[in-house]
Amino acid sequence: MSYVHPEYLVDTEWVASHVEDPNVRIIESDEDPLLYAIGHIPGAVQVDWFSTLQHPLRRDFLTKEQFEKVASEIGITNDTTVVFYGDKSNWFACYALWLFQYYGHNNVKIMNGGRLKWEKESRPLVKEVPSYKKTAYSAKEADKSIRAFRDQVLQQSNAKKPLVDVRSPKEYSGELLHMPNYPQEGATRGGHIPGAVSIPWATAVNEADSTFKSADELRAIYEGKGIKSDGEVIAYCRIGERSSLTWFVLKYLLGYPNVKNYDGSWTEWGNLVDAPIEK
Amino acid sequence: MSLPKKLQEIVDDFASMSREEKLETLIAYAESFPPLPERFKDQRDNMEAVPECMTPVFLISEQEPNGGIIFYADIPPQSPTVRGLASILLNGLNGCTMEEIISVPADFYLPMNLAEAVSGQRLNGFMGVLAHMKHIAITSIKTR
Repeated sequence: MSYVHPEYLVDTEWVASHVEDPNVRIIESDEDPLLYAIGHIPGAVQVDWFSTLQHPLRRDFLTKEQFEKVASEIGITNDTTVVFYGDKSNWFACYALWLFQYYGHNNVKIMNGGRLKWEKESRPLVKEVPSYKKTAYSAKEADKSIRAFRDQVLQQSNAKKPLVDVRSPKEYSGELLHMPNYPQEGATRGGHIPGAVSIPWATAVNEADSTFKSADELRAIYEGKGIKSDGEVIAYCRIGERSSLTWFVLKYLLGYPNVKNYDGSWTEWGNLVDAPIEK
Repeated sequence: MSLPKKLQEIVDDFASMSREEKLETLIAYAESFPPLPERFKDQRDNMEAVPECMTPVFLISEQEPNGGIIFYADIPPQSPTVRGLASILLNGLNGCTMEEIISVPADFYLPMNLAEAVSGQRLNGFMGVLAHMKHIAITSIKTR
């Protein structure tokens, strides 16, 4: 079988041939925000998960109005095809895509393989920061069908419905409070949400070039762990970035109709008073 | 306790910069990050890992005849922020004595207001690099 929604994925060659397409905007979204300045795909703009997409005060994303301002400044209209790519197998590219979808921008794609594949193919990277004419952009009301909040997660857990923990095995077991080799980010308890199955995000990508695994391989991985397309699935990690990638895989590559990303993730759950935890 | 002169200058520079200038300066530090000298290329087992960083960071040092320590770091180019931050420490502390390095307060960077330019997680890594430089310095004192 092939991906259920292959239109959400483009390859590096497609991007290379659309760098000057006025109906396409290429957006780099990285874990390391300085990468863009070191060199990016010609014509690409940057959105940073932290300084661009987060609410400046609360732990939340931009408001609808703030999102409209960002969209306007990068010169996209409601019809622009927006292609995301980034480092770390597109973690933060998927995170940015998810947020664009949250505010109703549905014409979005991931560049399969991200920065790593582009670099490996020795394609051009430039330092020139493009500027685009500001647009009038009108976002839709936030689409809460793709975002899970803690109360919904608790209900999902109590009802024994599918929860996917995409963190590393040691974070899942509670042995570590953070990713291996990553610093602790402020969770006071270790373990996982009761009933969650462990399917680390990295199982979805090919290590060599950061591309997604085939539809058959992906289906075997998720169905093999009991995560099927019927009913609602909630994915979480530590701050919601790795689980955005899993959300993208389940929703678009495998076509599960109802998948939510829990962006509060372990940095919320592991600190939440009275929240049940399993080890 | 005063900081080594070069490090103090870097701290003062950053303290006076806008957020954009801080980012530009970090990029400049990242781009001038020195490659690991050839003689250390097969020394990974003898290098000190910095697990606090989000990236594989390895440190090694050499002692100068006058007692100063020179640090070298191996950090992949895919992590310019970490390279930039480590570069600040290498520039600020290379050539200092073990005692000077050990005396650098862990919160020396607070006046730089780096938090407005880089995430808190990366600052953990920054502190981690300093802590491991101190560890190398202490180990050098014990073995000299």
